[in-house]
Amino acid sequence: MIHSNGLNKTHCLLLLTVLLILPDQAHALQSHSAPEGIYVHQLAHIFFISALCYLFWDIRRSSFPGKGWRFLQMFCVCMVLWNIVAFTGHSMEAVINASDIEVYSGYLSAKIAGPISPAKIVYYFTKFDHLFSVPALFFLYLCMRSLYRRSCEEEDR
Amino acid sequence: MTQLYLWPANLTDMVGSLLIIIFSFLSLRYAYLLTKNQPDNFLWGFLFYFCMTLAAFAISRAMGHLVKQVLLISGNREQWQALAPLAGGFNTLLMTSLAAVTIYYHKGIEGFKAIEKKAGSLKSTNRELQETAAQLHTMNMNLEEMVEDRTKELSASEKKFRNFFVNSKDMVYFCDASNQLVNMNASGLEMLGYSFEDPPSLNLLDMFLSEDDLDTYYEDILRMGFIEDREVDFVKADGSVIHILLAATAIFDEAGDFTGCEGIAKDLTRVKTMMAQLASSEKMASIGQMAAGVAHEINTPLGVILGYSQLLKDDFPEGTEEGESLQVIERQTKACRKIVADLLKFSRQAESRRENISLNEMLTDVLAVTEHSLNMDHINVYRNLSESLCSIVGDTEKLRQVFINFINNAHHAMEENEGGNLYVSTRNSDDKKFVIATIRDNGHGIPDEIKGSIFDPFFTTKPVGKGTGLGLSVSYGIVQEHEGTIEVESPIEEQEAGEKGPGTAFHVILPAVCEEGHSVTS
Repeated sequence: MIHSNGLNKTHCLLLLTVLLILPDQAHALQSHSAPEGIYVHQLAHIFFISALCYLFWDIRRSSFPGKGWRFLQMFCVCMVLWNIVAFTGHSMEAVINASDIEVYSGYLSAKIAGPISPAKIVYYFTKFDHLFSVPALFFLYLCMRSLYRRSCEEEDR
Repeated sequence: MTQLYLWPANLTDMVGSLLIIIFSFLSLRYAYLLTKNQPDNFLWGFLFYFCMTLAAFAISRAMGHLVKQVLLISGNREQWQALAPLAGGFNTLLMTSLAAVTIYYHKGIEGFKAIEKKAGSLKSTNRELQETAAQLHTMNMNLEEMVEDRTKELSASEKKFRNFFVNSKDMVYFCDASNQLVNMNASGLEMLGYSFEDPPSLNLLDMFLSEDDLDTYYEDILRMGFIEDREVDFVKADGSVIHILLAATAIFDEAGDFTGCEGIAKDLTRVKTMMAQLASSEKMASIGQMAAGVAHEINTPLGVILGYSQLLKDDFPEGTEEGESLQVIERQTKACRKIVADLLKFSRQAESRRENISLNEMLTDVLAVTEHSLNMDHINVYRNLSESLCSIVGDTEKLRQVFINFINNAHHAMEENEGGNLYVSTRNSDDKKFVIATIRDNGHGIPDEIKGSIFDPFFTTKPVGKGTGLGLSVSYGIVQEHEGTIEVESPIEEQEAGEKGPGTAFHVILPAVCEEGHSVTS
């Protein structure tokens, strides 16, 4: 067994030396092309959705009492919807061309040029993602306030 | 629809971004307050980190959007395009962090639940302990109240029995297994003539007159556990004897061993005396009836004997032998008639004349007749007659006979001592219902063994021919006739010394007729 171990070490050192002395094409750094950013962002959305779904399920499973935890579940639902809308919006940006957005006299006059396709409509409505995120944060606010008040009542008792 | 303006979306984006920042920081504030309020609560800690990451994400994203809108509205598209990847990168990073924090919650919550479970268990145990403590407290309070009530009851009971023990007019005693007295009430000590302040160490052996009585008492106590209505004689401190009615109960311990006894004794000496007097009264009454019958029957033949002897005396002059014999017959017959007359007086056959009498005057008259004779025998007479003595109703002659009898008896008692003192006194009873006349001498007194017989007819200690034995019997009958009583005291208790001395005192107690303001001179 001692002889065998010594042989393996020798082979490993020899291989490392060959790789260092005779580099044919170094792959030490991977280059990141333009779509990688959006892929990572979309994966982050999926990761966030998963985390929120888990949180929602676990809160239901744990049966924490009080309004605060129900508000937190509603936050999770709204945030999941927001993530879906945002994910869809980012996906639509890949479908919509730059020429589909017309700007005549400044940014405020920007519009989606016709003809209006379903993709353009979806893209347009995904621009209103705050209609989900703002209620989500509002529910989170209600959740935290409710939990705090309940905690104060328990302390008083 | 040919076109869709983007300004509503941009406006919503700007307003929404601001609101997100506001709500995220409000949430973060409450999360901070929660952790501050309960720092040990894992859930609040998680929510605080979650809100903090969310606030960072909200700033990154919302500020990015606001900056974007501002730059694009102001026509600085190039600057935004340079800034956009950085803002997007931050957004991605913080969103990933937020997701990571949420996932981390999984492990944390398990630990928290374990702690919560333990805390719940501890809380439950603590609650049970508190409930138990409360129950114990309640029980303790109840116990204290119960002990207090019980102590009060015991105190009241102890006081009740202590009062019974102390105030009882009968003797109450406790003794141990060796019959040694452990405790005796004041009445008992007084009954036996001992001082309560310095009670002696007594054994039942010292109290019982007869050892046989004590043996029987002890045997019965052990055998039956009690005795009741046992009449025994106790010895007093001065050696005199009192007659006792005794009831006693044995005391046994939990093992059933005899540990002593407790008893109650009642002094029956006075009752016994009264019973003896009653028996004597009945005896005297029957004797009186018999004497009356005998006297009546003898009186007639005696009259015939006396008559014939007096007739014969006419035939035989004095100086002859027959004449002398007839004189003896006449004298002895007269003596017999006197005895018969006394017997009739004793049996109340003689007629009685009732009137208001001053006892002082009567005694003065009696002493006037007898004093000379007394003085001849060196007997001094002392008078102590009450000035406010009530009068009595009765037969003067009969009562005078009574006092002459007592004075004669005193005279004879002191005659042997060749002198003495005779005290004659009168007084009203405390309730003024009776008048008490006392004839007291310092003669030889009356022995105990004959005290019960002195009022019997024909009982006398005088030599033959000196007394008939009817004097006291007749006196007794007369006083009875006057609804009075005679008490005999011998030896006499000296007033000054409180000790008993030789002599005899006869107390004649007669019903008084005492009017308000009435005074009798002596």
